[in-house]
Amino acid sequence: MTTTHEGQLGRAGRLDLRGVMTQHGSVAMAGVVLVALIAFGAFSIDGFWSLINLRSNLVFASFLGVATIGQTLCALIGGLDLSIPFVVGAANVGLVKLLNEGLPSGAGIVVVLVLAAAIGAFNGGVSHRLRGQSLVVTLGVGNAVLGLVQILVSSEGVSGISGGTIEGNIPQWIESLSWFNNSLGIAPAVILWAALTVLTILLLRRTWFGRALYALGGNQTAAERVLVSGPWSWTLVFSASAVTAAVTGILLLGYSGSGYAGVGDPYLFTTIAAVLIGGTSLVGGRGGYGLSVLGVFILTVLQTILSSYSLSSSAQEAILGALIIPTVALYARSPHPRMLI
Amino acid sequence: MTPKASTVSDAKRSVRRFISGQRSLLTPSILFVVLLVIAALHGPHLFTSDGLAGALIGASPLVVATMAITPIAIAGPAGVDLSIGPAMTLINIEIVLGLTKIGFTGPVAVFVFAIGLGVLLQAAMGALIAVLRVSTVVVTLAVYLVLDGLNTVILPHAEGAAPAWLSSWGSASTIFSPVLYVPLAAFVLWALISRTTFFRNIRLMGANDKTAFVSGIPLISTRIGAHVIAGVFVGIASLMYTGLIGSADPTAGASFTLSAVTALVIGGASLGGGHAKGLGSVLGAMDIWLISYVLSTFNFGLNASYWVQFTTGAVLVVSLVAGGILTNASGNRQWQEKWLLGWGK
Repeated sequence: MTTTHEGQLGRAGRLDLRGVMTQHGSVAMAGVVLVALIAFGAFSIDGFWSLINLRSNLVFASFLGVATIGQTLCALIGGLDLSIPFVVGAANVGLVKLLNEGLPSGAGIVVVLVLAAAIGAFNGGVSHRLRGQSLVVTLGVGNAVLGLVQILVSSEGVSGISGGTIEGNIPQWIESLSWFNNSLGIAPAVILWAALTVLTILLLRRTWFGRALYALGGNQTAAERVLVSGPWSWTLVFSASAVTAAVTGILLLGYSGSGYAGVGDPYLFTTIAAVLIGGTSLVGGRGGYGLSVLGVFILTVLQTILSSYSLSSSAQEAILGALIIPTVALYARSPHPRMLI
Repeated sequence: MTPKASTVSDAKRSVRRFISGQRSLLTPSILFVVLLVIAALHGPHLFTSDGLAGALIGASPLVVATMAITPIAIAGPAGVDLSIGPAMTLINIEIVLGLTKIGFTGPVAVFVFAIGLGVLLQAAMGALIAVLRVSTVVVTLAVYLVLDGLNTVILPHAEGAAPAWLSSWGSASTIFSPVLYVPLAAFVLWALISRTTFFRNIRLMGANDKTAFVSGIPLISTRIGAHVIAGVFVGIASLMYTGLIGSADPTAGASFTLSAVTALVIGGASLGGGHAKGLGSVLGAMDIWLISYVLSTFNFGLNASYWVQFTTGAVLVVSLVAGGILTNASGNRQWQEKWLLGWGK
């Protein structure tokens, strides 16, 4: 009897602590890590506060940030979108091809975004039908899409793709999206990211749909009992994820000026890392995009610091990986089965 | 429960269980036959002694690698081991540069070293997953990043030579060589392990960890055990891979993650946990190899790699959808509750 009593007390105590940790712990933790990294960078790196460094960091953060919107939404309903890097690459080379074919730039972007939405809808619909096996579904769809786009793009000799790269006349306004703009005082991509951030946070916090996503991530069966549609939510969320990935692909096209199919490769793991380090659980139902923004900034500052110590990108990758497990272990552990019976 | 109702329904039950168990092999088998027919029509070189030997060494690293991630998929939930590619690369580098440098080049030393390193890596991951209760995808993703980065730091470019006996595997021109015997031995080992009570515990844990817990199965050691079994096969797969390329290569192995996960799913594994077959994984891996072989017999020129990427992705999606329809995704939960709950006793 005594042991049971003690057990319950201990259990209650742990539960309480976990509740506090999940509500405020992740924000506090991510905030502290970010401030510490910035302080460290400011002291140890010359020119950390220079305008040029800040501007270029913000632009890089906005590329990652836009792609992370989709990954965060997917994580909130308990899914994972591995097709992001492939959609980024496909949008990147696909748009160049459409422009080379003589399509006006506005129409080209609309075509790319609509196709991306359709791909994402397929991802979400099939993943939901297969009881949430989004990891393999999106992996397969992503490879099929990027492979197909490269086959289509390469079919036309001179204007086609070679070695994964495709040249074309990128309109001035697309290029100007990702570069510093004197009259605005900031790159348009950063403004776009800020606007999308506000929209996403409002969507998640203030709309019925946003709350429904949390309900769905917390407990799918319970959510469907209160008339949250699982299939619709999954379709819409993955659709949104593919669209944000395509936007990142277009912004990257503006940044580099030519299409490259592998341009999205880093975004497979960095979007997931930003979501995890921010403190959104991959199990679903906990977290938010505000946290992922913190995660994006942490990754960007960390990259600046590591590069300044002239660590290779492989060493940076290894350090990033080593960071993930302790972060997740601190505030996104799954409960012991004993708690679920 | 009652002895009276047992015999008839038990027989029915076991027949139905057998059929529903084999149903997952349907998709990979059909695909295998279709691909073999296309290969026979379009690339008959495969059916010569030389072609078969090439197929064996070409396919065996992936076959064993897919077997390696199968127990992790069974231990579930969402047990996808993303780290398999970089893990194989690390062992490949350590065999060629680490072990050979200190003078151990004999088969026994290399086998023990490769399998030991595989078990060590997997046991560490299993411990993290089981003790910290962080999901398998997160841990293996983190380990993927760490190892993939580390491999390039240790060895920036491909170099070195594998021990002669090992690199001779890559150029075998007859099928009766260690390239056949080692994967066969691995499969026999699999068949033996998968018949143990311990392995049944892994299946029960993967299908429903709450049931496993109340049945008194120690969850932590069972999960670590699943990873230890995986580690044995990771070691063997790395050996086959080292034999195939004959040197140490820091980057080429990472693509095994995508291929092995694809092969696993084509082979009928349910990523929900509790259900995956070694034979299915072997068939799935051979399917993947056959797809790239068949594609290589067409003249795609510079587009060849795009076609491989497209077809692999499309086959993965189609087999997922087909598998979902054939095994009736919604019926699967009933299947678990009906049969697996009975096994825990």
